Amino acid sequence: MSFFDLKGLLQPLGAVKQLGKNPHTIKFDDLNRDAADRYRGLHYNDLVACIGCGNCSTICQNAAIDMIQLENIEGKQGDSGLRPRVDNGRCCWCALCVEVCPTGSLSLTKDYIFVSEKSSDFLWIPGIDNPKAEENNRLSFVSTTSGSLSDYVRVPMKEMDSKERILTFDEVVLGYTEEEARKEAARCISCGLCTEVCPDHMHIPEYINAIAKANDDDALKIIYDNNPLPEMCGKVCTRRCEEVCALTHRGVENDPNDKGAVAIRWLKRYATETAPTIELMKEIINHEVAEPNGKKISIIGAGPSGLTAGYYLALKGYDVTIYEAKAKGGGMVMYGIPKYRLPESSLDKQIGYMQAMGVKINFNTEVGKDIMFDEIYDNSDAIFVGIGFQKAWTLGIEGEEAKGSIAAVEYLDIINRGDNYDVGKKVAVIGGGNVAIDGARVSRRYGAEVTILYRRRVEDMPADWEEIEAAEHEGVHIAIQTIPTRVIKDENNKVIGIEYLKAEMVSDADGGRPRPVAIEGSETILECDTIIGAIGQEADYSWLPTSYQDKIKVDRGRMLTNKARQTDDPKVFAGGDAVNRTADAISAIADGFIAVKSIHEFLSK
Amino acid sequence: MLEKEQKLLEILKSAFQVEGKVIRNRRVEIWDHKEMVPAILLMVKTQLGYKHLNHITCIDWLEEGKFQLVYTVFSHTDKLTLFVKTKIDRDPAIMPNIDDIWDQANTYERELREMYGIEFPGLVGDQEFILEDWDEMPPMRRDFKTDVYAEKTFFAQPGREDAQDVRETITKRSGEEIPEFAKKYSRD
Amino acid sequence: MAREKETTLYIGPQHPGITGNMMVKVKVQGDTITNASVHVGYLHRAFEKLIERRNWLQSFTILCRFCVPEPDPMELTYARAVEEIEGREVPERAKYIRTMVMEMARLQSFMLWYGGQSGSSGLYTLGQWSVGDRNYLLDLFEDLTGGRIYHMYIWPGGVRRDLPKGFKDKALKTMDYIEKRLDEYDKLLFDNVIFQKRAQGVGIIPSDKAIEWGVVGAPLRGCGIKADVRIDEPYEAYDKADFIVPTFEGGDIWARAQVRRIEARQSISIIRQMLDKMPEGEVYNKVPNPMKWKIPAGEAWAKTESVRGEVGFYVVSDGSEYPRRVHVKGAAYTNGVTVTEKILVGQNIADVSFILNSMGVCPPEIER
Repeated sequence: MSFFDLKGLLQPLGAVKQLGKNPHTIKFDDLNRDAADRYRGLHYNDLVACIGCGNCSTICQNAAIDMIQLENIEGKQGDSGLRPRVDNGRCCWCALCVEVCPTGSLSLTKDYIFVSEKSSDFLWIPGIDNPKAEENNRLSFVSTTSGSLSDYVRVPMKEMDSKERILTFDEVVLGYTEEEARKEAARCISCGLCTEVCPDHMHIPEYINAIAKANDDDALKIIYDNNPLPEMCGKVCTRRCEEVCALTHRGVENDPNDKGAVAIRWLKRYATETAPTIELMKEIINHEVAEPNGKKISIIGAGPSGLTAGYYLALKGYDVTIYEAKAKGGGMVMYGIPKYRLPESSLDKQIGYMQAMGVKINFNTEVGKDIMFDEIYDNSDAIFVGIGFQKAWTLGIEGEEAKGSIAAVEYLDIINRGDNYDVGKKVAVIGGGNVAIDGARVSRRYGAEVTILYRRRVEDMPADWEEIEAAEHEGVHIAIQTIPTRVIKDENNKVIGIEYLKAEMVSDADGGRPRPVAIEGSETILECDTIIGAIGQEADYSWLPTSYQDKIKVDRGRMLTNKARQTDDPKVFAGGDAVNRTADAISAIADGFIAVKSIHEFLSK
Repeated sequence: MLEKEQKLLEILKSAFQVEGKVIRNRRVEIWDHKEMVPAILLMVKTQLGYKHLNHITCIDWLEEGKFQLVYTVFSHTDKLTLFVKTKIDRDPAIMPNIDDIWDQANTYERELREMYGIEFPGLVGDQEFILEDWDEMPPMRRDFKTDVYAEKTFFAQPGREDAQDVRETITKRSGEEIPEFAKKYSRD
Repeated sequence: MAREKETTLYIGPQHPGITGNMMVKVKVQGDTITNASVHVGYLHRAFEKLIERRNWLQSFTILCRFCVPEPDPMELTYARAVEEIEGREVPERAKYIRTMVMEMARLQSFMLWYGGQSGSSGLYTLGQWSVGDRNYLLDLFEDLTGGRIYHMYIWPGGVRRDLPKGFKDKALKTMDYIEKRLDEYDKLLFDNVIFQKRAQGVGIIPSDKAIEWGVVGAPLRGCGIKADVRIDEPYEAYDKADFIVPTFEGGDIWARAQVRRIEARQSISIIRQMLDKMPEGEVYNKVPNPMKWKIPAGEAWAKTESVRGEVGFYVVSDGSEYPRRVHVKGAAYTNGVTVTEKILVGQNIADVSFILNSMGVCPPEIER
C-alpha cells in the first residue's frame, strides 16, 4: 500500500457529507431534558408514611444519610420521629436506601439538577426540600414490594393438626427449629421501634440479632436482663411489639393477620428453648447474686409481677418471700391459661429456676386467712402487692345463677388444677377476649359443641387473631353481633339454653368504634348445657385491713400508685393487673421490674 | 464428567504429593508448602500448558496469623483454571519470588509487598508501586483500620452534627436501659 | 550517525493521550524509546480494602467504579462469584438480560475506543461522532437501569428491575442506527490510509509470547489466539447466542483494531438475539435482608469478558455478613503495565498514546 492509495485517501472525505446535518448535541435550553422513568435522581420522602426506622441510613455505604429531628414531626409509638437527611455530596445514587425502605416512603426522583455555591445546601432533606415531587409526578425510582430488599414474609410456625389437637391438652404450637429461627431473625432490620411499645421495653433487636448471629446464649442473657418469665412470654405474650414492626407497613403476609411482622414472640420462645433445664439456665444466664444485705421484702401473689419483683430483688441481695394462696406459682398464667398454650412443666421450670436463685415462695398461704397483712407489714422492709384480678364479673342477666353457668376464670382454674368439669354436649361462651377463646377451646377438648357469643364483629374481638383462628380451626363457632339477654333453665335449675338478641353495628357519632345496638324482636334461643361467661375480672381486696386503706388506696377496683409503682404508704408497692390498665402478663412483668428499681432506691436511702 | 480436571489433579498429586481437589468443572485447587510453590508453577507452566498467570491473590487470615496466597493459572489449551494455594506466616511474611517464571509476577509481587508487607527475596523493582509517601503499616492488612485512618487524616463536613441514632432516640423516650454486653448486637 | 544522548520523558499523568491518570516514564534516544516504565498511583481509592468493611450487598455499589468506561462486567463478575459461593440460582430471564447488558456495555465501550484510537492518531472527527453516538446507548442504559454511567443494575441473584415498557423497540432502533454508523466509522478509520500506515507494524506483541506475558482480550486475539471467556467458559446466556470470536494475525495495533471492529458488530448481533430470545419470568432471586445476609464460608473465582479482556474476581467469604476479600484482576492490569512496558521499547514517542489506546489501558483497574 502506498500513500497514493486513492481509495484510502478519498473514503475519509465521505465525512464531508455530514456538513449541514443536525448536531447530536442538545441546546442549552434543553438542559432540563426529562430523565428516564426510573432515573435515580434527588431523593424524595413521604414524611407521613415514613416511620423513621433508619434502615436507609444503615444501608448507606457512603454514610450519606443522617436521621434528624424535624419541626412538626413528633415521635409516637411505631415512629421514631426522626427523618432522613441525605448529604448529596456523598450520595452515589445507588438507591439501596430505596430498596430497603420498609414502608416504601423513600424514592428517587427524575430531578437531577441542583446547583449551589454553599456546601451546606447539599444537605438535602427529602420531602422538605422538594415537597411537591410526588404531586408533580416526579417520582421515578420507587420501591416496589416485590423488588424490595426487606423480607416481608414470615417463616410460618408449625402447629399440631387441628383434628388431632382437640383430642389432647398437649401444646399446639411446635416451635421454630434452629434453621427457621435464624432465617426469621435475619428478617429483623433492628430499628428498635418495637421496644418502645413493649411495656417491659425488652431489648428486642439485640436478642434477635444474637439469634441471627447464632449466639443463642447471648440472646437468652439479653432476654433475662429484664424479663424472668420469657418462656411464658414466648408462648402467650400479647406481643404489641409485633403490631408496630417496621415490616408490617407493606401488608405482605403469609396469614392475613400477621402483616409480615417479625415473629418476635416465637423467636423469644426459640431462645428459651435452647436452655431446657434449670442447671443449663443457671449456667447460660449466669446472673450474679449479691451478698445478702439483710433487708426483708414480702411479696403478695406469685403472679408475673410478683415473681419478677421477687427474682430481681433476690439478685440484689434482698431476702425475698412470696406469699401465694394457691398450690402453684404463676397466678393467672398458671390458672387462667390452658395447658395447650402454656404447659405446666414450662412454668414449673421457670419458677423452679427463680427458687434456685434464692426466691422463697410460700404456697397455699392466703394473705388475710393463713397469714395476716399486719404481720407481713410489720416484719418487712418493703412490700410488693401483685394480686391480680381473680374475681370474675357476673353477666348481669336473668338466671345466671343456674347450675351449668360458670365464669371462665373459675372454669379454667378447675381444669388447670387438674380437676374435671362436666360441660355437657353444648357450650355457649360469652365474650370476645382471650379468656373467652380459652374457655371455648378447652370445651372443645372435652368434645363439646361450642358457640362463642360476641356483641361486635370478629375484627373487634380483643383476643389475639391467632387464638381466634385456632379456635375456628378447631371447630368453634363464633356467633357475632349477639347480645345475651336471659339464661333458660329447666325445673332443676339447670341451664338448657340462652336467649340472645341480634345486633346491628351503628357507627359512633364521636368517631369511636361502632357500637352494637340490639335489633328489637330478634330474640333467638341457643340450646346449651353450659354457659361460660368471660366478660372481665376484678380484684379482691378483702385481705386489706381498713386501717391501711387511707394510704393504700383503691379506686374503681384498681390500686393507686405513682409512676414508681409506690402507693401512698412508702413501704408498699404494687403492680400487675390490679394496677395497670392493660391487664396482660408483660405489663405485669414491667410493673414488677419498675418496682424493683423503686424498692431498691427506697431501701438504699 | 470432570475427566480433565481429575487427570490434572492426579498428575500433580503424583508429582508433588500435594493435597487438592476438583472444585467444579474447569476449577482445580491444590495446597502445598510455600517452598514448593515455584517448582509446581514452573512444572505446570512448562509441562502442562498452564502458561497464563492470572494473578496472585492474598487473603489475610488475621485470627490465624497467616496469609493465604492463591496463584491462579490458566491453560488456554485445556480451558482449565488451577489454583495453587499456600499459607505463610504473617510476621515475618516471606514468600519465594517467581518473577523469573513469569515477568508480570514482578508487578503482582510488588503490589503484595506494598499492600501486605510480604517480602519476596530477590525481587527487583521500585519499593513504591501504587502508594506514595506511605508511612503507615501496609494498608491491606486487616489490622489497618480505614475508619481510624480517615478520622485522623480528614475532617468531616460540618453541619451534620445534629444526626441522631434511632435506637438511642427510642431508648431515651422509653427509658429502656440496654445492658453493656448487649450493645454489640445493636445496629451500627 | 553519532549515538544520541538518552533523555527521560514523563508522559502523563496529565496528558491528553493517556487513557486515565497514569504516567509512562520513557527513556528516549532521539525519537526512539529505549526503556519504558508505567507508574500508577494517581487514583488509588483502596476499593478492595473498603469492600472489607461493607456487607455483601453494599459492596456492589463500589464495584462498578473499578472501571468508569465499562462498569457492568465488574458488577456481573462479583455477582457471579457471590452466587457461586452461596449456590444461589439466577432466573433464566435475568441471565438473558445480563448478557444483553454486558454486550451493551461492550458496545458503548467500543464507541469510546473508536474515539480514543482515532483521537490519538490525530483524527478527531471520529472521536466526536462516536462519543456522540455513544450517548444513544447511554440513553438505553438510563431507561433500563436509571443511571447513565454507573448502572448498579446487576446484583447477586439477578438484575434489579425488569425491562421497562417499550425498551425492546427502542433498543432495536438504536442498534440499527449504531450499525449504520459503524459503517461510516470504517470509512474514516479503517479505510483511512493514514490510520493504516500508523497502525500496521506498530506496537507488536510477539504471538509466541502473548500467553506467557499474560496478554488478554483483543490484544491476544490480535495475535491469532482464539481466547475469549465468552466461549471458553460460557456464562449467563452466552451459550445460547450465536456469535464469532474474530482473530487476526500480526499482533500489531492494526490487528487489535480489526478485532474490535468485528466485535462491535458482534455485540449488536448478540443484543438483538438476546432481545429476541428472552424468556418471560422473574428477573430476581431475592436475597435475604441485606444487613444480615451471610454467605457460607468459601472461595470462588469468576471471570467475564470485557472490551479490554478478561475480568476476574477472586472472592472469599468467611461465613459472615462481610466479604473477607474481593480481589479484582482487571484486564488492564497486565496489558497496561508489563506488556505495555515491553512493547513500547523500540517504538516512536509519538506512538505511545496510540499504543496505550490499542491495549485498552484503564488505570483504575490496575490500582483498584
